[in-house]
Amino acid sequence: MGGKVTCTLGEVKQRADFIIYWGGNPAECHPRHFTKYTIMQKSRFLPRGRKDRTMVLVDIRETKSAKAADIFLQIRPGKDFELITILRALIKGQPVADEQIAETGLSRAVVDDLIARMKRAKFGCMFFGMGLSMTRGKHMNSAALLCLAAEMNAFTKFVAMPMRGHGNVTGADVIMRWQTGFPFGISFNRGYPRYNPGEFSTVDVLVRGDCDAAFIIGADPGATMPQPAIDHLARIPTIVLDPHVTHTSRIARVHITTAPQGIAAPGTAYRMDELPMPLKPALKSPYPSDEEVVRRINEAIARKPFWLPDGRQPQMVATLG
Amino acid sequence: MIRITGGKVYDPANGIDGEIKDLCIDDHGKFVASVSGGRTIDATGMIIFPGGVDVHTHVAGGAINFARAMTPEDHRRTQAFMRTKTRRSGLGGMAPTTFATGYLYAGMGWTTVNEAAVPVLSARHTHEELADIPIVDKASLTLMANNEIMLDLLEQGEFERAKQVVAWYLWAAKSYGIKAVSPGGVAAWKWGKDAKQLTSPIAGYDKLTPGDIVTQLARICDEMGLPHPMHLHCNNLGAPGNIATTLDTLKHLEGRRAHIAHSQYHAYGGDGWDTMRSETTQLAEYFNTHPGITTDAGAVVFGDTVTITADGPWQHLLYKLTGRKWGNLDVENETGCGIVPYTYRPSNLVNAVQWACGLELLLLIRDPWQVFLSTDHPNGGCFWRYPEIIQLLMNADVRKECLQKIPDRIKSSMVLPEITREYTLSEIAVAMSAGPARALGLKEKGNLGLGCDADLVIYESDPDVLKMFGHPRYVIKAGEVVIEDGDIREAPQGKEFLVKPAYDPATDEFMRPLFEDHYTMSFENYPVEFERLEHPELRDCIPVTER
Ligand SMILES: [Zn+2]
Repeated sequence: MGGKVTCTLGEVKQRADFIIYWGGNPAECHPRHFTKYTIMQKSRFLPRGRKDRTMVLVDIRETKSAKAADIFLQIRPGKDFELITILRALIKGQPVADEQIAETGLSRAVVDDLIARMKRAKFGCMFFGMGLSMTRGKHMNSAALLCLAAEMNAFTKFVAMPMRGHGNVTGADVIMRWQTGFPFGISFNRGYPRYNPGEFSTVDVLVRGDCDAAFIIGADPGATMPQPAIDHLARIPTIVLDPHVTHTSRIARVHITTAPQGIAAPGTAYRMDELPMPLKPALKSPYPSDEEVVRRINEAIARKPFWLPDGRQPQMVATLG
Repeated sequence: MIRITGGKVYDPANGIDGEIKDLCIDDHGKFVASVSGGRTIDATGMIIFPGGVDVHTHVAGGAINFARAMTPEDHRRTQAFMRTKTRRSGLGGMAPTTFATGYLYAGMGWTTVNEAAVPVLSARHTHEELADIPIVDKASLTLMANNEIMLDLLEQGEFERAKQVVAWYLWAAKSYGIKAVSPGGVAAWKWGKDAKQLTSPIAGYDKLTPGDIVTQLARICDEMGLPHPMHLHCNNLGAPGNIATTLDTLKHLEGRRAHIAHSQYHAYGGDGWDTMRSETTQLAEYFNTHPGITTDAGAVVFGDTVTITADGPWQHLLYKLTGRKWGNLDVENETGCGIVPYTYRPSNLVNAVQWACGLELLLLIRDPWQVFLSTDHPNGGCFWRYPEIIQLLMNADVRKECLQKIPDRIKSSMVLPEITREYTLSEIAVAMSAGPARALGLKEKGNLGLGCDADLVIYESDPDVLKMFGHPRYVIKAGEVVIEDGDIREAPQGKEFLVKPAYDPATDEFMRPLFEDHYTMSFENYPVEFERLEHPELRDCIPVTER
């Protein structure tokens, strides 16, 4: 079991008459989400806009987004996985004890009502945020929610989508996938891509002190990573490309100031639904773009001798262990 | 400059069937009558084919990239390409990475590929991936038969306007042709439904039927003068008894040109999963009596793969049947796609019938210029398994051996055991190169004649067909030796083909308000910028009546 049943945001705008935000606070974190894509839009299928849509917010605390919701379900911290599992059982008519439901902080009546609404929907969509994917259970929570969305298709049309963070994190994920097969946590130290989050993720490599240089674009790990990782960044030659002075640039050996993407540098950003959006700069910048800096570094490296001795041409590795 | 001497040349486009003949290539990568100087390759005792052309494959874009994300366990056990001075690293397997895709195709002698499913909305992504596929030349097809703006126009009887809009979309996508996937079925899937009957109105429409879309879109492609006709994935893919739908679809073409995609998936009889049987005899008969229509096999090979298609309802069914992972992505206004990992097993009735059907169509359709080698990669199997299919086509004894793995009760549901035909080398050269190149309207491909692109493959003659086709001695792309003795020598950047069909300039202003209703990005940002394509090559559109 696994996978992901999803759509582009335009499908939500056109069709979703039932929307659940789970563990996210779009009113403050994605302020244009309601108006551009989800609850406020009118469409040919939902001509009355907000009136034709129901919005449910599931969270452990009452955030500003609760005001926009038709139904706010406050659940106990760390009980997301349990509630999703209960929903997966109940939609299929499997028995669940009252105590098990009560543990999530909701009553049976509330859960039954939620399920009835989900099944009545013509097109349901669940957005899930960091409150689900970064708390107890982590990717198990996301996987369970994605399963619930997939299984709801036995009754009606249902999709799910993660609310991705800032910057072009989706773009990095998409490109790494087509070039290496994996989204992140990739090691090239054997000459071909290997994937093992928890071992090859940036934070793990830094904490172990495995790398002897760091090259950082469009991120500020110095602000968020654990101290041992930051200490290692300060120890090794760290190069930062950033339009601004950041926590990381302060500890870096080299900081190359670049033009800000989308403001003074062109490019492509991938939206949270993985659609590529061209960036058209409104301003000029005296600084080079990230792309240009990387291209020039690449050209300089190409002029150096190859990493393997002459005459050695590794080919391919068949059937890896 | 290269001179290739002494090789046995198979060039069906020029009626050359195994003649010893020298070939000369100039510095522009074209065949010429003679050269002075440069490298000479002694091909004595070897066999020369035009480079392979894949008419239908899925190698770039949101759907295959979704499949890569869903199959990390496969990447781990698969073939890895190490980085060298001339080559990027990558992984092979069920959904190979972009760089590996180029190396694997070229490594087997294929030099042109056609990515068969591009949503306009994410065409920018597809082109970025295509640019990262080295060596081979590329074309791509835009998904159109479920585009709601276009369907609305057809429902209103606005054929002329619909034609302008299709041309507008095709130029926005910067692609080469039109793909129709399950006309109306993907639009219906947006409500969790499907369109299986050619003559029943589609969910959400009063009059418009899948049959109407087939007829009118085929006409639009012909009137726009696309080099490649409408590329059609029929309704009701994969379902027992779908032969009726397929034959009905073909009637709706009303004599117009079309390429029928992966017809193996559309040639079944029976009325349920336990009565499914091959009906390829009927379908082959249609092709044998309608020489203007081409198809690719969409053959199945046994083993693991991952299936991806714009046919969302089919993928939902496959997920319910297998209980394995399911990915689905609906794309606003335009299309959708589904992804399910799958294993084809010889002991399974449905899978065994599918395996037989692919081979049967290749063997029962008499003219090799009408039926081409494909697995609908990665749906029926991965493209790097083509040499296995070539072996099955050329050797009836190998087929017999394979049939032994299939339980007797299943054999009565197929016609393969009765077929004795064996492909000749020349027929293989048509099915893997000359035929698909002609169907794509790429005149300088699949052709070793003077002035054509010097894309060719040289094999050591070997009675072991699998070995011969799996390991070419040389592969030459645009006059450059890219593969030699199993090594990747060069990884040049190939071309990307596209068309600019004419449309009324007022179409922009017609589209703008509709666009703002249906989409969530800005109108100006929607069309892919021509400058984004690497090595683009614009091809002419000539209306069919003026040819
Ligand atoms: Zn296909």
